[in-house]
Amino acid sequence: MEEEGKVRDMVTPGEVLGKASDVRPGKGTYAVPYNDLVYASLTGIHHSVPPVPDSTDQRPTVEVTDHKAHGAVPETGSVIIARVTKVMAKMASADIMCVGSKAVQEKFTGIIRQQDVRATEIDKVDMHSSFRPGDIVRAIVLSLGDARAYYLSTAKNELGVVSAESMAGATMVPISWTEMQCPLTAQIERRKVAKIGG
Amino acid sequence: MEYVSPEGLRLDGRRPMEMRQIRAEIGAVAKADGSAVFEMGNTKVIAAVYGPREVQHRSQQMSDQALVRCEYSMANFSTGDRMRKPKGDRRSTEISLVIRQTMEACILTHLMPRSQIDIFVQVLQADGGTRSACINAATLALADAGIPLRDLVTSCSAGYLNSTPLLDLNYVEDSAGGPDVTVGFLPKLDKVTLLQVQNLLNCVILGRFSALVVGKMDSKLPIDTFENVMQLAIEGCKAIANYIREILLENTKQLEYRRGL
Repeated sequence: MEEEGKVRDMVTPGEVLGKASDVRPGKGTYAVPYNDLVYASLTGIHHSVPPVPDSTDQRPTVEVTDHKAHGAVPETGSVIIARVTKVMAKMASADIMCVGSKAVQEKFTGIIRQQDVRATEIDKVDMHSSFRPGDIVRAIVLSLGDARAYYLSTAKNELGVVSAESMAGATMVPISWTEMQCPLTAQIERRKVAKIGG
Repeated sequence: MEYVSPEGLRLDGRRPMEMRQIRAEIGAVAKADGSAVFEMGNTKVIAAVYGPREVQHRSQQMSDQALVRCEYSMANFSTGDRMRKPKGDRRSTEISLVIRQTMEACILTHLMPRSQIDIFVQVLQADGGTRSACINAATLALADAGIPLRDLVTSCSAGYLNSTPLLDLNYVEDSAGGPDVTVGFLPKLDKVTLLQVQNLLNCVILGRFSALVVGKMDSKLPIDTFENVMQLAIEGCKAIANYIREILLENTKQLEYRRGL
């Protein structure tokens, strides 16, 4: 075969990638304890990652990367972008649109509870002066929440509303961490504004 | 009836240990997460895989593993004779179950908790060995969907007619009433995961295999002959696995090329 080097790097599920005592199973691989072997579980390119210099485990990690674009799924601690759908007295619900920089493929809903809106005076938060339906919010995933929704939090300076429309329909300009102003009517609306950039 | 001629040829001109022509194609259903068409001679099957995705009925959700569902159906035009009830008959239900169990055993379900994987297989053209073809198509579709698998499970049938072990029975040989086995096999792990026996008596030996045994067993077959037939089916599985691997690697190479890597 003329492309032998390339063919050798491509693996299919079930192929042996090495001994579990020599390599650490990473993404797209699995180890079988009783025969001490690491197998591929995906079809794709096989490569090994050298170990972190100071770690106790000095085995290189083997990984298999496939070609399918899997939709992003929110995890605890990931920063997400969501659109607020409903604001209630104790919480606001939002549809998650992006996880990190990746767009999600299916619908995930999140809830921002009153105590998770800001870091200080958490019990004095008025939800209606923090969010409005339609606002684009940057938030962090607190937990997987209940069966229906993820629990989100905006209790950090860089989290909160990043884009919002005023009553007049224009995109508002943030003027402080609690206020945004409409460029058309100069009307000031209250939001939990995210601090972006400097 | 004579199924193997004195010259050693079968009704369709094959040798006893010869498989039918196999052909596979990945990506037959654009909307699905993974799909494949698999042909064994005149048996043609299409498979589509959706998932892992959110569980449809929350009561079926499992917090430690993925739910695997399978639906097998035969197209109305797949056989010559007319079908009374196209869906929901016992045969389809049974084959759906067999495929589901076989695929569930090779999917790393614990990596995808609270989710569901749907496998749809449809027989477009039936000429014996549909369940083998369905399992092969489903494997290919799962691998295409990027679902983590223990191994590529493949399946093949073998039978015993006119005192000859025959590999990969077609419809005429299958309905001859002789003993036959359908084997599901993990080639790299060298494990039998499915064993279906039809018209076979000496099945006590099956205790050796941790497998599923279904079917009626009434015709006699000595143990050593059974072993031969079984081994033949396993060899068939290995050949199919090699072919499936080739197809997958070829597909991966194509994707690489299109991405300009």
